[in-house]
Order: sequence, then C-alpha cells, then structure tokens
Amino acid sequence: MGGPLRFLLSNEFGLIVLVLLFGILFSTLSPAFLSKFSLYALGRTSAVNIMIGFSMMVVIITGGLNLSVGAIGVGAAMFGGWLMQAFGMPWVPGVIGGLAMGAALGALNGVIIVRSGLHSFIITLATMSIFFGVMIYLTRAESYREISPAFTSYGRMKILGVISPLLLVTFAVAIMLSVLFRFTALGREMLVAGANARAAEISGIRVNRMITYCHMLSGILAGVAGLMLVSRTGAAIPSMAGQLGQDWLLPAFLGPVLGGTLLTGGRLSVLGTLLGSFLVTMLTTGLLLMQVGAFWIQTYLGLLLLAAVLIDLARRSYLERRKLL
Amino acid sequence: MTEIFNAQGILKTFPGVKALEDVSVSLTRGSIHALLGENGAGKSTLIKVMTGVYRPDGGTMMLDGAEYEPQNTHDAIVKGIGVVHQERNLIPRFSIAENIFLEHLADQPLRRIDYPKLFQDAQRWLDLLEIDADPATPVDRLSVAKMQLVEIAKALSLNSKILMLDEPTASLTPHETDTLFGILRRLRDDGASLVFVSHKLEEVQEICDSVTVLRDGQNACESRRLDELGRQDIVRLMIGRSEMIPDWVARDRAEGQPVLELSNVSTKLGHKAVDLKVHKGEIVGLYGLVGAGRSELAKAVLGKFEITDGEVLVNGISAKINSVADAVGRYRIGYVSEDRKSEGLVLIHSVLENVGIPIWRRLSQFGGFLTNGTVRKHTVPFIQKLEVRTPSLEQQVGNLSGGNQQKISVAKWLAAEAQVLIIDEPSVGIDIKTKAYLHELIRELSDTGTAILLITSDMPEMIALADRIVVMNEYAVMGGFNNTRDYTEMSEGIMGLIQGDETAAA
Repeated sequence: MGGPLRFLLSNEFGLIVLVLLFGILFSTLSPAFLSKFSLYALGRTSAVNIMIGFSMMVVIITGGLNLSVGAIGVGAAMFGGWLMQAFGMPWVPGVIGGLAMGAALGALNGVIIVRSGLHSFIITLATMSIFFGVMIYLTRAESYREISPAFTSYGRMKILGVISPLLLVTFAVAIMLSVLFRFTALGREMLVAGANARAAEISGIRVNRMITYCHMLSGILAGVAGLMLVSRTGAAIPSMAGQLGQDWLLPAFLGPVLGGTLLTGGRLSVLGTLLGSFLVTMLTTGLLLMQVGAFWIQTYLGLLLLAAVLIDLARRSYLERRKLL
Repeated sequence: MTEIFNAQGILKTFPGVKALEDVSVSLTRGSIHALLGENGAGKSTLIKVMTGVYRPDGGTMMLDGAEYEPQNTHDAIVKGIGVVHQERNLIPRFSIAENIFLEHLADQPLRRIDYPKLFQDAQRWLDLLEIDADPATPVDRLSVAKMQLVEIAKALSLNSKILMLDEPTASLTPHETDTLFGILRRLRDDGASLVFVSHKLEEVQEICDSVTVLRDGQNACESRRLDELGRQDIVRLMIGRSEMIPDWVARDRAEGQPVLELSNVSTKLGHKAVDLKVHKGEIVGLYGLVGAGRSELAKAVLGKFEITDGEVLVNGISAKINSVADAVGRYRIGYVSEDRKSEGLVLIHSVLENVGIPIWRRLSQFGGFLTNGTVRKHTVPFIQKLEVRTPSLEQQVGNLSGGNQQKISVAKWLAAEAQVLIIDEPSVGIDIKTKAYLHELIRELSDTGTAILLITSDMPEMIALADRIVVMNEYAVMGGFNNTRDYTEMSEGIMGLIQGDETAAA
C-alpha cells in the first residue's frame, strides 16, 4: 500500500479538492471573490472558525462534546478585556488571564463530567447557560472597549496586504496540536482514553485526568478564539458569539466532523479540521458575495454536512473492504 | 416423549473463528434441558442462532415438525421460541401488564388500549406464575425475582413453544430460586419445553432432565439424560480431556520472597480474606468456575476495585495502589484481559500504538516528547518475538485475527517489562495453534523471572502451565496444591476443592 495512493483516498485530500472546486466556482461566478479585501476577510474569519473547530475537536476525541465552547470563549474574552480595561494591563498578561479563565471553565466542565459520570452533552448544556449567565451578570452586559492598542492593531494588521495575522496564530496552534497528539505521551494518552476508556485504564492511563485535560484544552482554545475576536473588533463584547454563545456551535461541529474526527472518540485530524472549517467559511463568504439569502446559506451548509458524512461513509467502507484503513 | 425442536449440524463462523461446528440439539416436550459449556464454548452463539439474532452458515433446524429458519428475533418469537435474557429486558416505568403484553398491546398500532382487559389478562398470568402483585404496578417497584417472573410471563404470553432461560438464577436468593424452580417444574409438567442455561451445576442437576454440553464450538455431548451423568462427568464434558497437555516437567518455584503477595485481602465486591503468593518465575494458576470472583480479584489487585481489608505486598513491601496507573507505573503489574476487544486493546488504533501505551510516559523525553522511532525501538522486538502477523505496524488492531490480537495484548506487557503479569483466560476465541504457542510463551516468560498469575477455566491449560494451582469458589480461596501434572489427580483435586471437599485436596 503506497503512501501517495493512501493520501489520495484520504479525507483531507477530498477536502482540498472541494476547497479548490468551490474556489474556482466562486471566482468565476463572482470576480469580487478574489479581491484583496474579500480574501483578507475570508482569512480572518477562517482563522477564528478553525480555532472554534479545534476547541470542539479536542473534546470530540473523548467521545463527548462541548456545547459551552461559545460561552467559555466569550467568558474568557470578557475576562481578558476586563483585566485590560479595569487594571490597564498590557496585552500579554491580559491575554494570559483570559486564557487562564478559559482553561478554568473548561477544567470545571471536565471535573463535573468525570466526577458525575454523566454525558458531557448534559453537563455542558447546563454550564453553557451558567457560564453565560454569570458573565452577563458580572459585566452587566456591557462591553470593554479600552483594550490595549498593541493588541487590537495586531488583529487589524494586513500582512502583504491580504493575510490576516490571526491566521498565523491559528497555524501556530494547529502545529502545536499536531505535535501534542503525535509526538507527546500526553496527547497520545488523551486519544487512547477517548478511543477505549476501559482498555486505557487497564493499560495504566489515568482516564479521568485525560478527559479533564481535554476539556481544559478545549476551554483554552475557545479562549484563544474569543480573544482573536477581541483583537479583530477592538472590544470585548458580550454578544460576540450570540445568545449563550450559540453562534459558535455550527462552525464548532462542522470543522471536526468534515475533517474526519471520529464522533465516537479516539481519532482526530488537525489538518482535516483546519480544511473543514476553512471550507465552511469559504462557502459562507462565497454565497454571501453571490448575494444568496442568509437562510439559503444555512440550508447549503446543512446539505454540505450531510453530503460530506455520506461520502465519507462510502470512502470508509471502500477502504475497509480493502483493509486499507 | 415427543420431540419439539431439533437442530442438526449447525455451523456458524465469524472472521477467523468457527464459533459453532456441527452442533446438534434435540428438545422434547415436557422437559427441562440444560445447555452447558464454559465461556467461549459457543452457548450464547447457539442461543443467538436459535432466537434469530444470527443466521447459521450451515445445518438445519426443525420446530414442531416444520423447518425453522428465523429471519430476525421478532420472527423467532412469532414462531414460538422465547428467551428470558440474563440482562433485564423490561421497561422500568411501565406496568406489569404493559410489559407482559408489550408486543401486542392493541390489535392495531393506533387503536386505544383496553386497560381493564389488559389488566385482567395479565392477572391470569400472574396467578399462573404465583406472582403476588397488582398488574398495574410499575415493574421497577418489583423485586428482582418478581421481575424475572414477569419476564417469564411475557415470554409465555407469546405462546412460546420453547422457553430459553439464560442464567435465570444469577441474581436470585436461594429461596427465590426454589420458588422459581417450583414454577418451572409445573410448566414442564404442563408440557412446556424449557432450556436452562446456567453455570451452577447443582441447580442443573436439581432441575434439568437432559443436557447438551458444548466445548470449543462443538458438541461434547448431545441431549443426554442427566440421571446417567454424575457431576464429575459433566465437568469433564465441559472442560475437556487431558490429551492436550505438553510434556513439560513439573516445577517448584515457590521459594524466596514472593513478588506478589495478597495477605488476608477482602474487597467491596465480596472477596473474603484471600491469601495468595506468586514468586519470581512462578506460574500460579487460579482455577474456578465462571463467577468465582477471579477476574474481579485481579482487578482489585490492579487498583480498579477497592480493597477493604488486608494488604497487597509487592516484593515484600506493602503496596499503595490507588489506581491502575499506580499498579502499572509504580509496581509494574500487567493485566492481560479476558475481554481483549473491549478491555485489552484499542481496536481503532494501530499495532504500534497499542503495544506502546504503557511505556509512552517512560520513553518520553524533554518533558513529554516522544517519537515513533523511540517507541519502535522498545516495542518492535516484542512484536517480532511474538510473531504477530500484520501487514504493517500501522495496521488497525481491529483488522487482525483473534490470535494476533491476543499476541499484541501480551506484547504490550512484555514491552512494559512487567514483573507481575496477570493473564486472564488467555485462549478464549483463539485457534489451537496460537494457543499452543501462547502456552510456550507463558512458560518461557516465567523462565525469564516474570511472576505470572494465570486465570483460566480451561483445565488442560491449567495443568499444562501452572506450577501451583489455587482454587477459588464464591469469592474465596478454597485451597491450593502443587501441580504434579497428573491430569486425573489434579482435576479431581480441583473439583474436590470447588465442592468444598477438603480431603480431596491432599
């Protein structure tokens, strides 16, 4: 079984083909698609969406999910914003504070899930409301606008006129995640704990701890996404992810699922999530440019998700029959 | 007595394993038939073939004079084979009556349910089975024994010609068991044909008329009358002959400091004052029937279940084991699970990943970093030594055969350099060649100094491998003796201890 053929049959390759196909389609139908501004906006939005996808991905590998990604992301961003506004902190400690908040909220999710033994669905549904409600109460639903200028100007920078520096952050995180899950004992143990908790435990892995770590990492990544939005808009706004942070849920699931992260846990693809989230963002941007109504965009995204999982199913059964998987 | 059911030459294969081969059973009206066999012998596969879960790959079945080929479980029920499963299949919040008639609550899906009539009909079944309860009671308010009876009522209400009872007494008290047996006897005398699956031989002898024993997916005996068989005969049928024992010399390795010692260990699960010693290079065989608490004891040693009294000593020092991670990481105790698919291996991960799991931490450098090269260096020698047949190290373990999977779950602990290895039912679902190979390997492993605790219900395996045999029954150690490798003497000694007959242990 040669390496190149294997790659051609991979999910990632399929996504690259789709990205190219839709790229050609959109640029022929709407010349504005390839304009400098459009590409810049696409990169900027993708950067955040990919990060949101990563945040969900690292919990999906436990066989669970995290409905509170949005609430945690906004909570972390608001905390970072508050540190910068109320104490006039420079951006570095502000960002560290925000990420610490994300980590703490994520870890709290993990601890409750592990201790209670309940499914993450119900726990994170509850904490989504709790985190968001407490955040609204503490901030009185007001934005923090006195953000360190060094931080906000970074989010608005244009490298070579088209590349958003937020993409660099996303790529850096993608590389770190790849290294974590491929080249560290910790990352591998997280995956094994998610793939088969009983076997992992018998092999000496502290499964509960690994699951908690996954949720904590999810919180940190949600915090990164939230702070990226702060950097981009120049303010920490309680409504930046919609009511209860729900606006993040669709991108959060679409990226990993399209990217081939196994919903039952134990297997992920960082590159796949990156491509999946990018594809979704590109479709949204392209359809908007073609002035397709917003409700149609939702429909198309839904169809895309359905088509993607069906194609993936066919691909998998083909590979399984040939024992290539 | 007339025959009601007959199966001839049933064959069922799964990838790599013949689960059933040329199995035959015959059931008569008005009798209770025992279906026996150790774990993996093919009992549950046969039940699943009879109840339409699996389609057999060969053979014929006749039910009440007509050919019987159930298409699915519903079809089997309609044709008259009912099962009362080991695990409860009642709907907790529903009433007794609703549960009994769940399959036919009303004539048509949208028709209103006539509750007074439903309760009336249910009452008839409750009377018949002497269940003292109101048909409107939700079943989750009933005792376990009554739930069991409701399940039987449900199966009978479907006009079952044959009723299969899978371990019906597993969760009953002796008194409840007696009541159940009274009812089963009455059903038999009324002409019912019952199949009784149980590991409790005394119950089988008490209530059954005839017996079919399966071993390694084949008939060890077919529909023999029970009154002509003694307990020892049944046991011998279940666990096999002495022919497979390799010609190894008896060893006595019980010297010096034990590597693993259990002193007066009691657990939450009900183990009572267990004492056990395993020395360096020694294979201690832990024998017992299924349900004797052997795997549970192993898992308590591993830190998965709480030890309430007594202590575990490793190399003579009291071990503080609070989790399996402690047992593996600090004391290098490995456990090869009997259930390799769900507990021993990560089927969706590769060979290389699986073998490396326990040593990733130890191999990582610079604060947790790990390369495949390092993992390979410490795992590939063992994968090769065990002759694991796999297209590549990246192959998913789930795609390999049972024997190769078992080799991987052993290789994992060789790579981890376990000083104590607990091996639980190593040859379940494995072909004979790999089994012989594994036996050689376990023996070899003990020669290199690993202390091995072997849990097996396979008598020939036990006598082939163990240096010392310890017998457990009902969560307590009944006794032990050195293995002289004389099959008759050893098997009688073991059975004597299980029956609590101390004189046989000498």
